[in-house]
Amino acid sequence: MTMNTWMNHTMPKLSRREFIKANAVATAAAAAGISIPVSAKNLSTTHNQNTLTWAKAPCRFCGTGCSVNVATKKGRIVATHGDINSPVNKGLNCVKGYFLSKILYGTDRLTTPLLRKTNGKYDKNGEFTPVSWDEAFDVMAEKFKTALKNKGPKSVGMFGSGQWTVWEGYAAVKLMKAGFLSNNIDPNARHCMASAVGGFMRTFGIDEPMGCYDDFEHADAFVLWGSNMAEMHPILWTRLTDRRLSAPHVKVSVLSTFEHRSFELADIPIIFTPQTDMAILNYIANYIIQNNMVDQSFVEKHVNFRKGNDDIGYGLRAEHVLQKNAKNAKKAGGSQPISFEDFAKFVSKYDVDYVSKLSGVSTKSLEKLAKIYADPNTKVMSLWTMGVNQHTRGVWTNNLLYNIHLLTGKISTPGNSPFSLTGQPSACGTAREVGTFSHRLPADMVVKNPKHRKIAEHKWKLPEGILPDWNGAHAVKQNRDLKDGNINAYWVQVNNNVQAAPNMNQETLPGYRNPDNFVVVSDAYPTVTAQAADLVLPTAMWVEKEGAYGNAERRTQFWHQMVEAPGESKSDLWQLVEFSKRFTTDEVWPEHVLNKNPSYKNKTLYDVLFTNGQVDAFPLSETDSSFNNHESKDFGFYLQKGLFEEYASFGRGKAHDLADFDTYHETRGLRWPVVNGKETLWRFREGSDPYVKTGKGFEFYGKKDGRAVIFALPYEPPAESPDKEFDLWLSTGRVLEHWHSGSMTQRVPELYRAFPDAVVFMHPQDARDRQLRRGDEVRIISRRGEIKTRVETRGRNKPPQGLVFVPWFDASQLINKVTLDATDPISKQTDFKKCAVKIISARA
Amino acid sequence: MINKIKHYWLVMRRPSVHYSLGFLTMGGFLMGIIFWGGFNTALEFTNTEEFCTGCHEMRNNVYQELQQTIHFSNRSGVRAKCSDCHVPHDWTDKLARKMQASKEVWGKLFGTINTREKFEEKRRELAEHEWARFKSNDSLECRNCHNFEYMDFTSQSKRAAKQHSTALAKGEKTCIDCHKGIAHQLPDMTGVEGW
Amino acid sequence: MSEKVIVCFFVLSLMAFNTIANESIATLRGQTSLSNEATPPLMEKVENRDIKRKRNYPMQPPTIPHKINNYQVDLKTNKCLTCHSRKYTEQSQAPMISVTHYMDRDGNFLADVSPRRYFCKQCHVTQTVATPLVDNSFMDIDDILKAERNQR
Repeated sequence: MTMNTWMNHTMPKLSRREFIKANAVATAAAAAGISIPVSAKNLSTTHNQNTLTWAKAPCRFCGTGCSVNVATKKGRIVATHGDINSPVNKGLNCVKGYFLSKILYGTDRLTTPLLRKTNGKYDKNGEFTPVSWDEAFDVMAEKFKTALKNKGPKSVGMFGSGQWTVWEGYAAVKLMKAGFLSNNIDPNARHCMASAVGGFMRTFGIDEPMGCYDDFEHADAFVLWGSNMAEMHPILWTRLTDRRLSAPHVKVSVLSTFEHRSFELADIPIIFTPQTDMAILNYIANYIIQNNMVDQSFVEKHVNFRKGNDDIGYGLRAEHVLQKNAKNAKKAGGSQPISFEDFAKFVSKYDVDYVSKLSGVSTKSLEKLAKIYADPNTKVMSLWTMGVNQHTRGVWTNNLLYNIHLLTGKISTPGNSPFSLTGQPSACGTAREVGTFSHRLPADMVVKNPKHRKIAEHKWKLPEGILPDWNGAHAVKQNRDLKDGNINAYWVQVNNNVQAAPNMNQETLPGYRNPDNFVVVSDAYPTVTAQAADLVLPTAMWVEKEGAYGNAERRTQFWHQMVEAPGESKSDLWQLVEFSKRFTTDEVWPEHVLNKNPSYKNKTLYDVLFTNGQVDAFPLSETDSSFNNHESKDFGFYLQKGLFEEYASFGRGKAHDLADFDTYHETRGLRWPVVNGKETLWRFREGSDPYVKTGKGFEFYGKKDGRAVIFALPYEPPAESPDKEFDLWLSTGRVLEHWHSGSMTQRVPELYRAFPDAVVFMHPQDARDRQLRRGDEVRIISRRGEIKTRVETRGRNKPPQGLVFVPWFDASQLINKVTLDATDPISKQTDFKKCAVKIISARA
Repeated sequence: MINKIKHYWLVMRRPSVHYSLGFLTMGGFLMGIIFWGGFNTALEFTNTEEFCTGCHEMRNNVYQELQQTIHFSNRSGVRAKCSDCHVPHDWTDKLARKMQASKEVWGKLFGTINTREKFEEKRRELAEHEWARFKSNDSLECRNCHNFEYMDFTSQSKRAAKQHSTALAKGEKTCIDCHKGIAHQLPDMTGVEGW
Repeated sequence: MSEKVIVCFFVLSLMAFNTIANESIATLRGQTSLSNEATPPLMEKVENRDIKRKRNYPMQPPTIPHKINNYQVDLKTNKCLTCHSRKYTEQSQAPMISVTHYMDRDGNFLADVSPRRYFCKQCHVTQTVATPLVDNSFMDIDDILKAERNQR
């Protein structure tokens, strides 16, 4: 059924506005239980007073991507409601979503640019002084130009976000890669999904899940690997709970290094020693093979086997002994082809007794878990997030998860779904799909591939050969480069990296405060990252601008600007595009390129990147007049549409098809690839994925031969384990009530009061052994730094003895002072879940 | 063998030759005290937390759950150990319970709940034993510490005060009716009244 | 002697790395500099007064006005429902969970509480007595209408 006929079936032909209004009014009425209008005296009686303006948007928070309806009155948000008709959440939100209406209204919103000054002049050690946008950009442009002139494109950097809108990320990519010719742009999604991306690319050759949320309603078993869905993907958890409690044969297994809220639904709860998830996965593969449960015909037709390089190090600085001893640190991603028999032999050492001993999990539980995967009649949905991705062998663990689904052919059909859950609202839609990574270009292309660069240069109407061909600095490297003085002009947008990045004392903070560096931070609120910066730019958030996000199931959702941003704050998009006006090609492009292509001489980057006939192709008249659009109004054309359509041209026809811009404003999002108006629910399977040729059955077309890869990869220990002095594991993460660094949720009174301060969750016996009791002030100390916090022995998280957990939402308890900057060497994603600490009373 | 028994029987029947009546009775009396003391000490030792959690079945299951609850650690530090709730305080009932506990020795020897899975399977049955006991003696073990006569409703939360001053006061409900799961996690509560 | 000078210079330049101006703008962190550690606030108690709080708009899930320590909600049982479900509200006089909790995802009414609403704490949270670090200027619809009337 095409999109058009579907829309005609479900609703009569409506104009965009009518559609939104009709839906929203019905929504409001149904939810509030009142019919409109009313005439009792103690209510708002006149129709004018009682009506609210409703419009749709995706939620600002997690990667679930719930849809909400937002009610505004007199230019302010007064309510939000879970969109009853959205297939993602069907009317539900989690507690954070229910307070979306308050996140814009913290009274310390940034409203003017702030520049550190002493005696009226910029001074890195000066006090923050309000300045105009002009002055802010003047100083900023000067700093960037100086850095580019003195040290070239490798000396500028940008740290962006999986919470950028799609076109913000795209504009940033253009500005950095095509404008400044620098690949030093990386998103905070590097901290969250890079290992998942690495897993996808190695196994399938193409990014993002092949299943969708519909799998929840079809699966017979759910296995959570290092994912606390109950708190971190709450609405998906409600779908899982709905399925589990409605169909008694359904089983849920939860695996983690400590007991958390998701265990409340676990039929097979499993606590394992950190890092041994890899061994458990290899055991399951072994079990499947030993019990002859391999789907032989599927494997023969659709799978290749390879052995990955092992001993690949830990992404630490080169001087570190672990790096020096790693055999394959420089060839971390490499692999060799092997046969199925080789693979079977490789995993045969992971028998139940060995793995039980290594992981601390009972043989009974291991076997129960393995049976779920092995039984051909059980449709299994595996779900994972940070426990698997924030892991020094995160890419491997992703590969191992795909292994067991591929061995059994349990993939790409309803309910059979290895589902990598995304954390941020648009890590998929923006960071991954647009390619805002130090090694990427849009639509899964990479900077190191000359063919890919050529495609991008052609689409962007750039001189041939101009795009930089070197892998830029990724997140952890950017902080190291700042500290070492290699990156000197740096722009941070939509993230709080001083709070989020690992090893703050040794790397992050010295980098930001290095006197050679000029750091700009764009944010809506004054965070600790803003505090560490030199220039702070006030930024519009969420529905203060027109935006688009892409969630974990490949659903792209749009929204309109609904309210005005306060004071002088402007969206990140406006900032990026406006800033580009300050640079000319003569200043930032190499002379020989300009000599070869003289028509590009004396043009501003704005001309070349944003008024190139494509980005400015759509006039203002195409914007929806019932909504404001401050960026488009300022630049004189429909900026978001131009950027989107130019970006979408990268992916159309390449299995990344997006529908056209206007369609997204009318629907509750569509799952790409959208071909002929039809969205794709399950990829790689014939009949459901338009890119799979007829007769193939399954085709993993990301790989040239259409075959996915099963990787033989061993268990390898973590970078830092507890020892005699630092005798506890430290795991970090989030709690339900707070999003990421708390810059939005900590400013909502109800959310703040629900969980005001971070604590260290600890087993009561571990506390007693250290003469500690609940509420005691303690120091959590690692080899790198320490923080002070209070002990919690009765909280929602119940760690086993030997492990503690600290959430990172608290600006006063920067747990990343304690964490280690070890990464997965392939994905460069930090392992935030494992390092060694000791805990002593602060009074001692 | 039979001759030996016959011999000792004759010795016991013969009146004392060397020791006085007073010595024997006083000696017997003193020995009785020592024995009684020893017996009771041993008995009380079987009521300690260390003894109960000596078996991993208890230590890894119910003891872990207890540590999160108010009976383990609270504002006043007045707490309950295993025996405060699970062993009657009254001497005859206590002895009866201790004799009943031989069933638990059997369970330990034969591993009836020696894995987490086995424990979970029996959890409902074990819980029901305890609920039945509390129900039959009007939550006596609760009342040993929480004396209803001396409850100050003004110091309780509104909900607690309301329930205690009505259903509990009238005797319609006993402590265990509402406070199931106060110290250990609840089993599958399907079919349990009020849940 | 020259070694001491070098060491001093090294230490001073390290200190320069960490020098930040006096006033902090990071509101949530207060005036503690980024390189120092403040004493964490005492753990706050959860408000237990059973007094309903005003909601910001009708569809907001109400916050929980009482403690919920050890109230077990899992596969085995749901403690919240022993007071708040339709069956038990007469006995407990607790507010009944709204009718939306008895609807499945397609809007059909069910005999009992919908499984998708089973885990109460995903939407309903307790409140400690902590004072928020930052004020919030959200205005609910009544405040806005009132302001509008006052302007006329």
